[in-house]
Amino acid sequence: MNAVGSSPRRGGGYGRVTGHQEYLADIKLPDALHVKLVTLECARARINAIDSTEAEQVPGVHFVMTAADLPDPMPRFGPQFQDRPVIAVGETKYHGEPVAAVAAETKDAAEEAALLVKVDYTKLEDGIFSVADALAPDAVLVQDPALRGASSFAQTNIIDEKHFGWGDIDDQEAHLVVEDSFQFPMVTHFAIEPHGFMAAPDGDGIEVWSTIQHPYLLQKIMAKMLDLPLSKVRVHAPDPGGGFGGKQIPKFEPLVAFMALRAGRPVRLVLSLDETFQQVRRSSAEIRVRAGFTAEGVFTFMDIETNFLVGAYVDIADRVVSKSSYSGAGPYRIPAVKIIGRTILSHTTPSTAFRGFGIPQIGWARESLIDEAALQLGIDRLQIRLLNLARYKEPFIPSEEADGDWEQTVRTAAKRIGWGDPLPPNRGRGIAVGLKSGPTTGLSYSTVRLLYDGSAMVYAGTSDMGQGARTIFAQITAEELGVPLDDITVVMGDTSVVPYDQQTSASRSSVLMGTAVQRACFEIQGKVRAMAAKLYNVDEGDIKVDQGRLLLPDREFSVVDVMQEALAPLGGEVIGNGEMRKDKEPDHPLGGTAAFFEFNCTASEVEVDMETGHVTLVKHVTVGDVGKALNPLQVTMQDDGAAIMGLGHTLMEHYIFDNEGRVRNIGAIDYRILTSMDLPLDLHSESVENADGPGPYGIKGVSEGSLLVTAPAVGAAVREATGKIIRDLPLTPQRVWEALQEDENGS
Amino acid sequence: MNRFQYARPETVGEAVALLEEHGDDARLLAGGTDLVIELRNRWVEPKVVIDLKRIPDLAPAIVERDGFLSISASTVMTDIAEDERVQRYFPALVESAVVVGSVQIRARATMAGNICNGSPAADTAPPLLVYDAVVVVAGSDGERRVPIDDFIVGPGKTALQRGELVTAIELPIPERPYGAAYTRLTRRRGTDLASITLCAGVDADGQARIAYGSVGPRAFLVEDESGILGDSTIPSEDKIDSLDQIFYRASPSLKSLRASPDYRLAMLRVLGARALETAIGRLTKELVS
Repeated sequence: MNAVGSSPRRGGGYGRVTGHQEYLADIKLPDALHVKLVTLECARARINAIDSTEAEQVPGVHFVMTAADLPDPMPRFGPQFQDRPVIAVGETKYHGEPVAAVAAETKDAAEEAALLVKVDYTKLEDGIFSVADALAPDAVLVQDPALRGASSFAQTNIIDEKHFGWGDIDDQEAHLVVEDSFQFPMVTHFAIEPHGFMAAPDGDGIEVWSTIQHPYLLQKIMAKMLDLPLSKVRVHAPDPGGGFGGKQIPKFEPLVAFMALRAGRPVRLVLSLDETFQQVRRSSAEIRVRAGFTAEGVFTFMDIETNFLVGAYVDIADRVVSKSSYSGAGPYRIPAVKIIGRTILSHTTPSTAFRGFGIPQIGWARESLIDEAALQLGIDRLQIRLLNLARYKEPFIPSEEADGDWEQTVRTAAKRIGWGDPLPPNRGRGIAVGLKSGPTTGLSYSTVRLLYDGSAMVYAGTSDMGQGARTIFAQITAEELGVPLDDITVVMGDTSVVPYDQQTSASRSSVLMGTAVQRACFEIQGKVRAMAAKLYNVDEGDIKVDQGRLLLPDREFSVVDVMQEALAPLGGEVIGNGEMRKDKEPDHPLGGTAAFFEFNCTASEVEVDMETGHVTLVKHVTVGDVGKALNPLQVTMQDDGAAIMGLGHTLMEHYIFDNEGRVRNIGAIDYRILTSMDLPLDLHSESVENADGPGPYGIKGVSEGSLLVTAPAVGAAVREATGKIIRDLPLTPQRVWEALQEDENGS
Repeated sequence: MNRFQYARPETVGEAVALLEEHGDDARLLAGGTDLVIELRNRWVEPKVVIDLKRIPDLAPAIVERDGFLSISASTVMTDIAEDERVQRYFPALVESAVVVGSVQIRARATMAGNICNGSPAADTAPPLLVYDAVVVVAGSDGERRVPIDDFIVGPGKTALQRGELVTAIELPIPERPYGAAYTRLTRRRGTDLASITLCAGVDADGQARIAYGSVGPRAFLVEDESGILGDSTIPSEDKIDSLDQIFYRASPSLKSLRASPDYRLAMLRVLGARALETAIGRLTKELVS
């Protein structure tokens, strides 16, 4: 059995592509009421009164829930700060924040009634929609200081300011100092499956269904909010149709739970794609980078200041800021570094985790600035990176060392793009390197059951949202127990059945849950070895286990055969449990070292239409250090997918606001992502495999690497083709054309 | 969506009678690719939806008669683009039909609907203008033929009166060699609404005309009065002034999310020059063959 390193058919893949998979919206709870949210046509408003008399007269409408129907003070929740109310109370803080929710027998009735809910509100001027707005001396405060506790920033719109670094940047000499500011837009996850939430009373507890990535976090939050023991909160988390970080954190689950308890029957709220746009996004950022170099191009210092504009509630955004800022200087050897990252509130959609977790923002600025330095120094852009790149095992942040042969990755990407080959007219190439910290803590449990007939069941609390976790866990089990892949069922998505998992994020699951699954298999191997020792009268110590085979001194058996012989005639099963724990390190600036780094080099060749500004991606290469590709096809698909997603924020994606803070391009018509027609003519993803990762078989995490520095690689290629440096994203045809119209003086 | 009555007439006469009866409270359903979205989003709340797909006289058909190619009202974009006669005589119309929406939309959306919807960005409008299409309109007083330039009025507005519907669109088959080309400006290559739609046509005498949309309340057709735009011996850079003359009716919106007015005006020139070049190339090929 060589399940590891092969690319079997994806678990659940057939259901996904044929429409047979049961997504949350496909689950029809009998007797469920349909919920429609009521929102206002502005971002910031004072709610004076809500009159639902007329709405409640629509046939089929049961009730309209507002803040007045909920406990006082309003229950609030959040993964870092308890700041998000169940429903808006007193004031709305972003366009799309619900002020009321209608429960009705049908979706149409709920929608009709939602239009009839009369909200008497006063639009409030001076909403905060930009970093400048937020930091102005007379800025209104997005959040009530009373919610901010003892924070020294409580009287400002800054949630926190992170300081990282080493050495003294003022003490460094430099032949050349370059400095510039860059902007990264607000973008949304655009999972094809919109968010959905259902809840139903369950005896003296509650059942909740959600498209959530972190069912156990949801369970914890619901238990706390409803004052229930964890055992009375059952969370169903059907495989999400894409998550990308946008489904990590609870949103409207508490609201539907309160509505279900009031109704005494199930309620269901499935957002439209447009509504989802208003609930999750990536943080925008303004990034200033200053760096010093010797004449030879060696870094002498780097100074990064990033203002992340997060939304009205913090969600997980403050962690995005700290984690990305911490490694913001990249994979380089730099004697002195100073990094400041600010989490800044605004009256906009709450930003949350999003593939890359803050790194694409800082990477856009840092890598673009390195190019500007290379140009001024007359050094090749690949060479300046190789020159400064941390080598294997070399510390590049005081408590972190390079966990891979990063030079090999960069050289591979350069070779694949044909770095240095002559370019046709209107073409340009760019190269950039990026790195993201993997999980800093983790806790995953798995149970594996080897059933009597030689099939197996794997219980893992990971969410398979398309990344293929089901397949990975099945492959590990097949490898260790010798069970055919098709005979393995992976059970996920039900907190009353599957043991605890901390979360599905940070490209962690293959490494952390994968280790738990492997350890559960090891426990089964141990039990079966003991059975073999007894059956064949051999010392346990003389029996080796390898890929589902028990190797005795003079003969060998399969694990399944021994299990069957030992358990006959009653049958039964062998159960193994595995745990993977990565504890907190209280003295570490992030609370823990990274379990691994996702290291990526992206290289791109573009052709620019000099008359229209359209950018054609001629070739796009991403190379990642994955330790080992446990499933090579899935690694390629993750890398291709992440690259395409990165090309979205690079070339076309961005929220457009009006002056009242309304998102003008809500929905798929005017918020454009790449289609198959917009893909690179040649898209190439490749892995560097030295089996040096912390996971089973030497794997590292995969899935975010190839969007970390998509923008600077493409931006550099556009710069080479046009001679124009553009420091704001996305690189729309109009923006490139405008740059081309500028004369040499930049006006 | 709101509740509405669904009517399925079997003759044009019955459909006309329903339209007469309900006026603005009625909406016609052919492909439904615009109507269904409007219903779902409650942008329109008709009392009656009149489904035209069961009327034999409007059944999908492309027929050649009296020097015209007649395309019935329920003919979808995919069938128009794949029709050999349309490809031969009206290549610019094919170029516009194959970029409407997506594959799925094109298998449903009709050209008559594209025009009746009245979007300033309708892809098929510029080629229909360049090819001098005629819209066949049925009403209680019988049939009338309206030149496409008179049929298109403004955003969401056409020359249709109460009780009228489009039964076909007719295209005069060119008697002499003719070159035309359609092009558009979009934010991406895949499915997108156009920021500019543009069709250039050049006749055997070298006389050029350009129709362009998405830069004003409707698509405009403008003849080249300078006489140089269709001249293959004059280099593109010497045609800029004449092109600017052509685009005098463009007034791109300041509020558009898709492109700034400056960019659109600049791109009109670029697209105009490119479409002319293709049109002249096609004409030359026809003249040679």
